[in-house]
Amino acid sequence: MPLVPRISKSSPGLLNATLAFILSLSVTAASAQADKATYAAGEKVFKGNCASCHKPDKDMTGPALKGAKARWEGKGDIHAWIKNSQAVIKSGNPYANELFGKWNKSVMTPNAISDADIDAVLYYVDNFAPPVKAGGGGAAPAAEGPKMGKNTYWQWFLITALILLIVVLSLGGITHQLRNATLEREGKPTEPERSIWGRITNWAWNNKGWASVLGLFIVVWLILLAWDWAFEIGVYGGDKVAHYKPEQPIAFKHALHAGKDNLNINCQYCHSSAEKGRHAGIPSANVCMNCHKAVSEGSTTGTAEIAKIYDAVGWDGKNYTGKEKPIKWIKVHNLPDHVYFSHQQHVSVGKIECQKCHGPVDTEFDVAEQWAPLTMGWCIQCHNETEVQMAGNGYYDEIHRRLTETPMGNKELQKYLEDEKITVRELGGWECAKCHY
Amino acid sequence: MLSPMTTRTTLIAAIGTSALAVLTGCKGDPNSPGIEYMPDMYRSPAVEAYVDYGQDPYYFADSVVLAERNTQSARLPAEGSIPFAAEESKAAFNFPYPYANTPEDYERAGLEVHSPLPMTKATVEEGKVIYGKFCVHCHGETGMGDGAVVTKGGHAPPNAYNGPLKTLPEGKMFHTLTYGKGMMGSHASQLTKEERWTVIQYVKFLQNDGKMPGEGAVAPADSTKQAAAGK
Repeated sequence: MPLVPRISKSSPGLLNATLAFILSLSVTAASAQADKATYAAGEKVFKGNCASCHKPDKDMTGPALKGAKARWEGKGDIHAWIKNSQAVIKSGNPYANELFGKWNKSVMTPNAISDADIDAVLYYVDNFAPPVKAGGGGAAPAAEGPKMGKNTYWQWFLITALILLIVVLSLGGITHQLRNATLEREGKPTEPERSIWGRITNWAWNNKGWASVLGLFIVVWLILLAWDWAFEIGVYGGDKVAHYKPEQPIAFKHALHAGKDNLNINCQYCHSSAEKGRHAGIPSANVCMNCHKAVSEGSTTGTAEIAKIYDAVGWDGKNYTGKEKPIKWIKVHNLPDHVYFSHQQHVSVGKIECQKCHGPVDTEFDVAEQWAPLTMGWCIQCHNETEVQMAGNGYYDEIHRRLTETPMGNKELQKYLEDEKITVRELGGWECAKCHY
Repeated sequence: MLSPMTTRTTLIAAIGTSALAVLTGCKGDPNSPGIEYMPDMYRSPAVEAYVDYGQDPYYFADSVVLAERNTQSARLPAEGSIPFAAEESKAAFNFPYPYANTPEDYERAGLEVHSPLPMTKATVEEGKVIYGKFCVHCHGETGMGDGAVVTKGGHAPPNAYNGPLKTLPEGKMFHTLTYGKGMMGSHASQLTKEERWTVIQYVKFLQNDGKMPGEGAVAPADSTKQAAAGK
């Protein structure tokens, strides 16, 4: 403790030590206050000017800044380097040139900040303490509740029917025994013991009218069931069947990336061809890397899933190695070959929200699933109901001109407007060749 | 008093009920697309986008050679391809970008590359739409570097357009959008050249504190000239 003067050589050691302790405490407290201010000031400057390329404790585009001041000691002026790195490189400083080469010759943007700010930043990074995370990262996905659909109705119906059947059969057994007991007491011959099937056939034989009505009912019911079931063949989505939701090679979470309360990335950032082409597009892995170059650890699966992207693009943490292999995503939405569907038409012209056909992807889904049935009935139902967005939509300019400016068009327009809206169907959305060509 | 017969009946019925409950409670396997009638209508011999014929159980299975089943449908266009432009006025957008991804060319682009699009209310409006899809989650609504990926995700913030990037020339913006810089990756696969120039008009608008050049006291954001003069 060099700051504390010795009071006297003769003073007892204990007193001396106590005094020294108290004094040093107050000095530390005062300097701690100043340090805190420097730290905060440095943090502010760092976040505004450095954080897009540097982290205090981890390499990013540029090196981790912790210890940078010490690394530059005796090799050059770190202030000049931070203010204008290119000038220092051109002056021929060997360490500056070494750094420039080591970091892929990426140019550090010149910073117009004062020496005091630079000192604050250097203090901040050297003393950097990662902030304690409050709660988990991002909102927890909504708990998966059981889906109460129309299917449960039949389950309850059948269970009730079975319980009734048990009651009827037990009661039947009891009446049978009671009747036999009566017949026995009267000395008449008792009825033979019959199996369940025997009892049913016996009843049917005695009540032919009822039996045939019941039989007809059962046959019709079975046919209806089969008919209904046949409509689920080849249908992977919708209300009636379990959604096709294949396990993908990377457990990508839509809700985390696109959710309003999470990262809120627009659907078209990744599916960018939705408004330009037939397919919405599975993003190529370079799109993932636009963010995941920096984000190597996720909030839910840690590094496991993101490492799969790195593996696919051949990223070793600093460079692309060139060892690429495609990610084998599994296609979810399949249309038969004889149907033509274009995303561009629906997104750019129809201005339909993605969620209308793909469901609550951004709020509820993790892995992509087929939400809509994609049956023809589903397609043309929407074509029948949806109003055409004609205002300010260049696609409809010509038809709009014809409908409003020609006499024949005017007549048609009156017909269309009987229900006060022009639907897709009225402009040809139900013509076979619209989709089958 | 129940006879043995009735007891048995009750037992059978009870077992039947529970079996039925278990069976109807089953959900289909989400990994399977389910039953299909005439699968050939879904799977075409021509290579369809994003179909992995190697993993597809309904495809011709062993009768197709492995190489063909692993045909990759998503591919890059041939090097040097120039997209077709329906309007002649837009053809110039599709010419190759002559600058390489090097620091020297980044500086050169800043001096030499200029927007073929004028900065008008219309281009700024269009640019805003593109900005809202492709930039906003990191750069934030007003370009302050406070998008959801930064604030909610806790990732590195980009510099503010009207802060450290206030004098960034448009040529450098285009270069960065095309090749990427620092943490930002290349957006060339997501945005056409025309879209890139359109969104740059909106970024220039944000550089100018959200004003059109000439409005208010702030000097016009003709950043290209400023940078050129500085050199």
